[in-house]
Amino acid sequence: MVCDNANNSLLQVDNLTLRHRSPAGATTILKDVSLTLRRGEILGLIGESGAGKSTLGNAILGLLNPEFERVAGSILFDGMLLDDMDERQWTKIRGRRISAIFQDHTASLDPLMAIGPQLEEAILASIDETLRDEAYEVTIDLLTRVGIPDARERYHSYPHQFSGGQRQRIVIAIALAGAPDIIIADEPTSALDATVQKQILALLRELVDETGVSIILVTHDMGVVSDITDRVVVMRCGEVIEQGFTAALLDAPSREYTRSLLKAVPRLRLSDQRGAPNKAETLASSPDEHARAEVGAQASPILVVRDVTKTFSESGLGWLRKGADKVALESVSVELTRGAITGIVGESGSGKSTIGRIIAGLETANDGTLSIDDMNFDVARPGHRSGLLGQVQMIFQDPAISLNPRMTIGETLRESVRFGNAKAGDPAALIAGMLDRLQLAQPLVTRYPHQLSGGQKQRVCIARALLAGPRIIVADEPTSALDVSVQAEIVALLKECVIEQGVSMLFISHDLALVQALCSSIYIFRNGQVEDAGSSDFIFARSQNPYTRGLIEARSSRFTH
Amino acid sequence: MTTETLRLLWKSRREYCFTLSGLLLASYFIVAVTAPFIAPQDPYDPLQIQAWEASSPPGTHSGSGFVYWLGTDGLGRDIVSTILYGLRISLFVSITSTLIAAFIGLTLGVSAAYFGKWVDAVIMRVVDLQLSLPTILVALIAIVTLGPGIDRIILAIVIVQWATYARLARGVALSEIGKSYMDAARLLRLPKRRVILRHLLPNSMAPAITLIPIELGHAIALEATLSFLGLGVPVDKPSLGSTVANGFQYLLTGQYWISLFPGIALFALIASINFASEDIRHRLNPRSRSHGV
Amino acid sequence: MMTIVIGRLSQAFLLLLVMSVIAFAGIHSVGNPVFNIVNIETATPDDIRNATIALGLDQPFWWQYFLFMKNVLSGNFGTSYIYHLPAFSLVMSKLPATFELAVIAMLIAAPCGTLIGLVAGRHQGGLFDRVVLRASVFALSIPSFWLSMMLILLGAILLGWFPASGRGTTAVWFGMEWSALTSDGWRRLTLPALALALPNIALIARLARAGAIEVEGQDFIRFCRAKGLSPQRILFRHTLPNISIPIVTIIGMQFGGMLAFAVVVETIFAWPGVGKLLIDSIQLLDRPVVMATLTFVSVVFVGLNALVDLFYAVLDPRVRLST
Repeated sequence: MVCDNANNSLLQVDNLTLRHRSPAGATTILKDVSLTLRRGEILGLIGESGAGKSTLGNAILGLLNPEFERVAGSILFDGMLLDDMDERQWTKIRGRRISAIFQDHTASLDPLMAIGPQLEEAILASIDETLRDEAYEVTIDLLTRVGIPDARERYHSYPHQFSGGQRQRIVIAIALAGAPDIIIADEPTSALDATVQKQILALLRELVDETGVSIILVTHDMGVVSDITDRVVVMRCGEVIEQGFTAALLDAPSREYTRSLLKAVPRLRLSDQRGAPNKAETLASSPDEHARAEVGAQASPILVVRDVTKTFSESGLGWLRKGADKVALESVSVELTRGAITGIVGESGSGKSTIGRIIAGLETANDGTLSIDDMNFDVARPGHRSGLLGQVQMIFQDPAISLNPRMTIGETLRESVRFGNAKAGDPAALIAGMLDRLQLAQPLVTRYPHQLSGGQKQRVCIARALLAGPRIIVADEPTSALDVSVQAEIVALLKECVIEQGVSMLFISHDLALVQALCSSIYIFRNGQVEDAGSSDFIFARSQNPYTRGLIEARSSRFTH
Repeated sequence: MTTETLRLLWKSRREYCFTLSGLLLASYFIVAVTAPFIAPQDPYDPLQIQAWEASSPPGTHSGSGFVYWLGTDGLGRDIVSTILYGLRISLFVSITSTLIAAFIGLTLGVSAAYFGKWVDAVIMRVVDLQLSLPTILVALIAIVTLGPGIDRIILAIVIVQWATYARLARGVALSEIGKSYMDAARLLRLPKRRVILRHLLPNSMAPAITLIPIELGHAIALEATLSFLGLGVPVDKPSLGSTVANGFQYLLTGQYWISLFPGIALFALIASINFASEDIRHRLNPRSRSHGV
Repeated sequence: MMTIVIGRLSQAFLLLLVMSVIAFAGIHSVGNPVFNIVNIETATPDDIRNATIALGLDQPFWWQYFLFMKNVLSGNFGTSYIYHLPAFSLVMSKLPATFELAVIAMLIAAPCGTLIGLVAGRHQGGLFDRVVLRASVFALSIPSFWLSMMLILLGAILLGWFPASGRGTTAVWFGMEWSALTSDGWRRLTLPALALALPNIALIARLARAGAIEVEGQDFIRFCRAKGLSPQRILFRHTLPNISIPIVTIIGMQFGGMLAFAVVVETIFAWPGVGKLLIDSIQLLDRPVVMATLTFVSVVFVGLNALVDLFYAVLDPRVRLST
């Protein structure tokens, strides 16, 4: 058994310790990291930002910047020590034996060279002189293999003429060009929409099964890990926390950190039964809250949006403009349940953020009606004219740019109390109460935003929104810029606050599970239209809409119950 | 600038190049301010100038007892004194015009970004027009239009420079307006004044302020060039540039000191400003450390 | 692509129109050129009136501009008050000298600057890189007029190798006179061309360096290494084409800038080009010549900018292939 393992091992990292030197001093990026990659397997490397997983990938590729310094340990690949190779030896390894897929498909391709030649040069770099003439055919084959239709015609197209998913397919084709033994895939799908992500992962799995290549898949997404990896290595702060077969490790993690990572992943519940066994782990609402939400739904909605249409005019010289304006929203109608959270789900470009901004009065629409508590607002006029602006508060996606960097937290919150529609009361007491409520330490009021962590900043943003005393809050992807473990805390806070303060919320997200955990009713957006809508139970259990089903199926099965 | 940027600068005081250019600059300013008290003579008081001492080489003893360390010019004026007095004019013209240009450019740039629509269109068309032409050409057109005089030179430099600030400030302000904290400010229905003064301006100013030293260097060179061409400061108020120009005709006959020393003073002034401003920029923005431009 | 071309050209045209109004207004507000023609001390009011009418200065401002534009469009900028020659042909006769100077300066500056910048950028933080950075700040700090004077001091007075002024012997080629065709001309070209080239070497080197660093830091270069390409192939097929776009842009713009900055260098080296003509005419209030020169330089400059932008579009498929 032991002997068998050793034969199978393709790459072995032993006690690798790396340091990063900078003018500020040296920091240890990797501590005593050991792992083994076997032939024909997908090894998941998971961890939150700063875990050192990308650095490890670069070390295996020999692409570390000179500031990195190996303190101890070694990387053994197929009987060769990779650590002390010079650049000339590396060119023989890279591409032919070990290649890579990077996260950003746009930046990975040379914008000035057509994709065919970019792939062909990778093939030429790795094959014998005698096979030169066949390179073109191999290029076309590979492009077809990774799912680029009409490869012959598209040979001379440039990267910007492809969609994101297609670009990532081309990147995969280039990684395959030298028929390598190992592909290091660094977050290969995190820049893609869920459905495309699913397709790309399926393609990777297929390639492994057909060609016997091994893949090291660097990711922060538990879903990706559970979908296609055979084994998984969990990293935190430069150390390997635990490793093992994916199924076994995810079922019974031995370390607390892994458990917390798993727990933090929002889960999708497909069964209609309440009180399922893993109920405790999910963020789903308890039965009595559900009941409340259903009662609320029968009461009159607090916000009614009818037939909103919005077009963006393409930029450029007016009279030279070609074609029609881009339609962002096409007769969209949305209702917001009083005292509950309503969800909007959609992929990028579906118009979900635009409707949120129109409801908040930050953007105008071309047409449509909007009323809050039977008060009508003209959505075609700017928010400060129609009076809509100020009725709704927002929580934004990126906490790093949501707070004025030159104002202290206290100043930001005081401004919100002073200029918002808050109930009367001592501002200092209101702020202190709110900070307590959101588990923020009082001394934070004298700090500036850059001195806070991402999670703290987002709490301050929630505090700012609530202190203005709105009846409605629009939360636009409030957790997608945060690490998984922080996400769960923020989601829990949002939910509690809505119930406590009696605020109605519109929650916009691309994550179905998150929306299910929070929302009583859900709208599914697609290409600027409402594709599907209904109560949470209906959408997840009974909806027959093919697009909705596709979205649900794109979720990792492990995190679906 | 915040206290933090000041601390950053203070931390790097030990680096020799930074220190050297800083010291040089400080002494330039002190000398310029105190010129009337420390200069051996007032070169523009005819009573103090002896015509028979014209074009004396460096080191000559003057009739009134002191040494012409750098010689005298074609009219018998002490070169040290003309440099000190010229420095006053050069620095006055360039600092005044740079500050005015920064103020106007920042105001117009931020207004263009905030008000958008036709305000933006008008301001930015003019900016584009100006920045698409070489500075010297714009300056010449401005001078030809405005005519001579110190105030006209200042105005001409302001006309040349404001557009750079405006474009930078507009770009920064636009990206700030696109950030969510500005949306949050709109959602609170803050008064316009408060949005601009508390949120937009403080966050748009920093890049424009780091531009000031660079543009100061440009202003000094531009004023000197215009004066050299005879289109700058008037003859009775000679700047460093006009002092160099005075020596030009003597250069060909071997009396090099008349233009060499004022030129070195001018060059060292611009160079120390440029070195200091480059270092400041790199220190304040660690990411640009690698990018030279 | 067509949209870009039309857009860029109409923008250039608008620019020129605005320029002509400003420049015309500017010239109009300066001094009275009549006094350059008639003798102030002996002229009678009648003489002055006749001269004013002869110069067309009695007409209202807008009418003068209209006549001026009408003439400009037919290539007629009026007659020089001083030389009594058509202003436009006066400018054209001075053009070869300036053009020759700028071309030679650019032929020195572009390759030197690009090479220095690329080498510095590829070894970022090394000794050569730091020397280049420091030296470029020095070079950009020297006012061009003082640089020219120091070159005269060094090359003409101390060493005595090069003459300090003038164009020297010229040879006729395509009906125009060129210094670069005679050895005496070359000796006279050297100093002014150097004076014009030095600051541009520094500028181009800095931009090439920044471009090299930026491109080398991008993901696709890292990906090229990951796919196993040789360093030479990455340099020549990926890095250089991507750097060339900003470098070509800056070289185009700087060439226009050289034509303008020749004003200073030509004045000092008594180089009989367009720049010297402009300064002389401003001082002599020779309005038609000033107008002709400014208009001409602006047209050349705006045209060059438009060309550079279009060239940029041709080089970059993201722009070229957009509808």
